[in-house]
Amino acid sequence: MYKIVIDRSLCSGFGSCAELAPEVFEVDPGGLVSLRVGTSDDASVLEAAAACPMGAIQVVEERAA
Amino acid sequence: MNVRTVAIVGAGLAGARTAETLRAEGFDGDVVLVGEEPIAPYERPALSKEYLAGTRDEQSLLLRPPSFWDERGIELLLGERVLRIDAPAGVLQTERGLERPFDAVVVATGARPRRLPQRLPRGVHELRTLADARALRAELAPGIRLVVVGGGLVGAEVASTASGLGARVMLIEAASAPLVRALGRDAGLLLAERWRSHGIDVRLGAPLDSLREGEEGRIDAVVLADGSVVPADVVLIGIGVEPARELLDDRAGTNLFTAGDVTGAGHWTAAALDGAAAARRILRLPVPAAQPAYVWSDQFGLRLQVVGRPADGAAAEVEGSDDSFAVRYRGRDGVVHAAVFANRPADAAELRRSLLDDRLALAA
Repeated sequence: MYKIVIDRSLCSGFGSCAELAPEVFEVDPGGLVSLRVGTSDDASVLEAAAACPMGAIQVVEERAA
Repeated sequence: MNVRTVAIVGAGLAGARTAETLRAEGFDGDVVLVGEEPIAPYERPALSKEYLAGTRDEQSLLLRPPSFWDERGIELLLGERVLRIDAPAGVLQTERGLERPFDAVVVATGARPRRLPQRLPRGVHELRTLADARALRAELAPGIRLVVVGGGLVGAEVASTASGLGARVMLIEAASAPLVRALGRDAGLLLAERWRSHGIDVRLGAPLDSLREGEEGRIDAVVLADGSVVPADVVLIGIGVEPARELLDDRAGTNLFTAGDVTGAGHWTAAALDGAAAARRILRLPVPAAQPAYVWSDQFGLRLQVVGRPADGAAAEVEGSDDSFAVRYRGRDGVVHAAVFANRPADAAELRRSLLDDRLALAA
């Protein structure tokens, strides 16, 4: 399970994350990215974090309790 | 070049992103990030906005939690000014006499404010670093008279924040329109109207003559070129920045890279992309296509987004209302190359994508 945090002050609305993992990230009406869900099992969130030009996405892997 | 040690000079966004990207791409050699300010990489754009307004504190400005750098084996060497870089010899030297060897060095020293060629009375500020912002913040209070010299983005943001805090603000600009380089003339003039409607006394075509000193060496008034004297309690000088290029001399070798404002490209988003690109160059990985220029600013209730580079002379098309407008600059070829959007994030995103697609098509 991955826990995802977006730093909205760094986000510049490139939207690469929403293209790579649309079920997790969306570009909101304000032009910045917001999360549809806070956690995900899908490793595409790692790609999305790596692809963010601003480094605005942090992903932490959490072990299931 | 077998790179085992990378030194990054400058711990702003570009330097930070260089270090992070090296690690993200699997580099396992030594990485040292040397910064002149005694603070870990932080979010500079907030200095003229939330930090100055008092709605965010210093801790919240940090780009990464303090443990982040340690966890990735990135050494932060803070409060150290680098005096010399000898790229061919692979060594740098700090003011305090530290020497650091490197195989590759990234100069990400950023930019610094242009300065007036006179001694500055107390109460006259510039705004680039956290220390600058702290000093300015301590002087802003309801009812004080603030004169902003220079109608650039930083000046406009400070004017906005200060007037929100209850200061009486005058902004003087030497040119006949503010923000011409950043926004183009048409958008600049629209913005000047916005400032006026928010109570800012905007003087265009009003070059500064001098700063008049009063008692105890403190600012007393600002004198304009036409001879008028404007009483002032606090002054912000916001007449632009210049790249901090001192460390880039002719001894630069093939192991020296640059990133961020020092290249003259300017602006926050570009610095992040540039830092990541520098890291990829060091590791000899492909560098992604350059993004269209992008700048944003928050002022007087507007989120401004500038996409592309507004060029002088391009035909401007203005549409919208006071609180949400677009100024599009169309070139002779009939294509929109740049635009300024106010509270129009979706339009800004769309133009950004289409300019990027054009670039990719050209590159293909």
